[in-house]
Amino acid sequence: MMEIREVKTTSAAPLAVFRIVFGAMIFLSVIRFWYQGWIKSLYIDPKYFFPFYGLEFIKPWGEYTYILFVICACCALMLALGMFYRIASIGLFFSFTYIELMDKSTYLNHYYFVSLVCLMLVFLPAQVYFSVDAYRNKNLLSDAIPVWCLSSLRLFVGLLYFFAGLAKVNSDWLLLAQPLKIWLPAKNDLPIIGFLFNYSWIPFVFSWFGCLYDLLIPFLLWNAKTRLWAYGAVVVFHGLTAILFPIGMFPYVMMVTALVFFSGEFHQKIISQIGKWLQLPATFLYPNRIYAYSPTTQRILLLGFGGFFCWQLLMPFRYWLYPGELFWTEEGYRFSWRVMLMEKAGYAQFTVLDKEGRREVVNNQQFLTPLQEKMMSTQPDMLLHYAHILRDFYHQRGYNNPQVYVDSYVTLNGRMGKPLVKPTTNLAQEEESFKPKKWITSFDDTITGF
Amino acid sequence: MNTFKRTIAVVALLSGFLWACGESSTTEPAPDDDSKDRKAVLTHLADEIILPAYANFKPKLETMIAKSQAFSAKPDATTLSEFRQAWVDAYTEWQKVELFDVGPANKTGIRNYYNIYPTNVTGINDYMADPSVNLEVASSYDKQGFPALDYLINGVGATDAQIVAYYTASVEGPKRLAYIKRITDHMNALITKVIADWNGSYRTEFTTKTGLDIGSPMGELVNGYVLHYERYIRSGKFGIPSGAMLNGVVASDKVEGFYKKDISKILAQTAHQAAVDFFNGKSVKTGTNGAGFKTYLDALGAKDSATGKTLSETINAQFDIANQKINGLKPNFFEEVKTNNAAMVQVYTEMQKAVRMLKVDMTSAMSIVITYTDNDGD
Repeated sequence: MMEIREVKTTSAAPLAVFRIVFGAMIFLSVIRFWYQGWIKSLYIDPKYFFPFYGLEFIKPWGEYTYILFVICACCALMLALGMFYRIASIGLFFSFTYIELMDKSTYLNHYYFVSLVCLMLVFLPAQVYFSVDAYRNKNLLSDAIPVWCLSSLRLFVGLLYFFAGLAKVNSDWLLLAQPLKIWLPAKNDLPIIGFLFNYSWIPFVFSWFGCLYDLLIPFLLWNAKTRLWAYGAVVVFHGLTAILFPIGMFPYVMMVTALVFFSGEFHQKIISQIGKWLQLPATFLYPNRIYAYSPTTQRILLLGFGGFFCWQLLMPFRYWLYPGELFWTEEGYRFSWRVMLMEKAGYAQFTVLDKEGRREVVNNQQFLTPLQEKMMSTQPDMLLHYAHILRDFYHQRGYNNPQVYVDSYVTLNGRMGKPLVKPTTNLAQEEESFKPKKWITSFDDTITGF
Repeated sequence: MNTFKRTIAVVALLSGFLWACGESSTTEPAPDDDSKDRKAVLTHLADEIILPAYANFKPKLETMIAKSQAFSAKPDATTLSEFRQAWVDAYTEWQKVELFDVGPANKTGIRNYYNIYPTNVTGINDYMADPSVNLEVASSYDKQGFPALDYLINGVGATDAQIVAYYTASVEGPKRLAYIKRITDHMNALITKVIADWNGSYRTEFTTKTGLDIGSPMGELVNGYVLHYERYIRSGKFGIPSGAMLNGVVASDKVEGFYKKDISKILAQTAHQAAVDFFNGKSVKTGTNGAGFKTYLDALGAKDSATGKTLSETINAQFDIANQKINGLKPNFFEEVKTNNAAMVQVYTEMQKAVRMLKVDMTSAMSIVITYTDNDGD
């Protein structure tokens, strides 16, 4: 490897440890997903799916969907081991992202997070230390990497927290303590802490603490003096969310991800310890070499990462381009680190008719799974997509130019329910686009903030 | 200055604490604030409403069975009319327990054997011919229960004399009476089991498993309640016969109590009032309101931010409107569908508004997931 004078280097251990735990976490997540029967119930059983606009070609492969998950699990395992790292990271990025994009009903911010981390890992030298690849290829083996490689990962994790915190700076969260005011009393029968949720001020404490936590934790983790206590807060915060909310692996993924902020020495200790158990040679554990990119590669990578972060900084604010209340229209809501901000529930009854007098009130169960129906009934783009599924279905059934209307009813953060879609809109004629959807009713209330 | 070890220690300590919090235990004392205490709500609902309502229903059913036996022993106009009256009483009382679609009732699916209508006349005739037929399968639902009895004591002849003659026929008569015995025995066995299960372990489970996750007693109760209101009151009693559900296809033969004709209103009224009373936690024993959905919603502070009206007030106001619309109907829904169907559709429309509040606003405020699937239009 060539050495470049200007580039500062840092220990390769944090990135190596991160590679291992991150890969292992995804591997476990996929196994859990499979074990729970979700591959079948979410991606094989449903008759229809809700693809993302512009990415309609991404859909499940029927029975072969299992292959996708096998690929994903294998890549995750290979990533953890650092074996055929480039292929593994590229394979993991594509398979995981593909799975994530197959159906909007299962959209989760943490899937998006995992996808983007995988994308970064494709270009980061996480395999140069303590990996199978490095064990086999002594030219690769190094224990120091350019500083920016580690910093960019930390910056990304920091951005995630910060934006999640910024999204909480709104009047519903801070002034009404919604939706925690709804969610916490539901857990008032938990041992030890349950009784707290009967007090009406507790949701406010949780809301404000949660907001400050998200906004400050990147800085507290970055600073060596506060790091240990900040990490304690990470464990408590994510541990609490794991107990209180059904959010699966996410809390644990974040707990291990936050370790990336710890120093090189800290991670070196972990690796040395494991190395000792595995009786690995000192030349492998302490190669004393620097990994460096060629100047051109490095320039391209830095440019690419720069672009990536610009995109990341702008995405959460794209909702400013849309009129109306973000929580109501959800235009620009996804891919912006807005987590746990809304208690939204709804009901949508569709009527399909044509000019020749055919008319039918749709039984959603015939078309959608309960999860899809639940998600569809509160999210305008999904309501529209479903309306188009119905339009095409009834066209096939002999309806002449079917018209699709919806009687919708949605409650948001404890507000009394009201229609989300103007009932006079023939959704069969409306087209999906990134333009504002004029057929969404006005919210008639104000939520101030981000 | 060993950061590594200190981190491990801190993490271990905190994980231990969180683990303790996350462990589900039921021995923990109930919180003092009883208004949000689901244990208090569930205990009241079980002891003051559900169990007493079952206890009220059981003797009515037993009376009906006794009268059916008297009729079998000596079929004549008197025993028939006594049987019929006991059937009306039991059917009406049933409306006050059908809504408890939770625990034993849900597990046995008792509603399916008690009140699926319209009843299947051809099927009943087939079943009479074959006493070995299984009454515990889905295909048998519409050949038993109160609707089947409706046909058997009100629909097999135009006059009481003809009905009596139907049972005194030399060859077929005994088979017909035997079928009445089979289905009434089945009803008795089912309710006996449901009550026994409640008095056995289920009451404890119901009142101590206070979580709200999918499959929890409260989750199941609320789901069952909303489902009952939506599908068995709104759709079954009004939406389907009036055609409001089936795209204007009117089906007067799908009213409840189709053969008796003049009881469909009282059945619907009773069912609706039972749902309203249950929402308000009205004790079946004392008639006073106690802990229930209403007090729980009030304790949660569920209200419309625009008007300041509580959600429970809004729901009760909508219940009142629906009640008024029902009260305006004549006793015989079969006739109402034919001559005054707009009024039937209006009841459906008002109930639909209540359904939305129960299914969306109430469950959202309670943080309960609706897990039953719609089959509107079926």
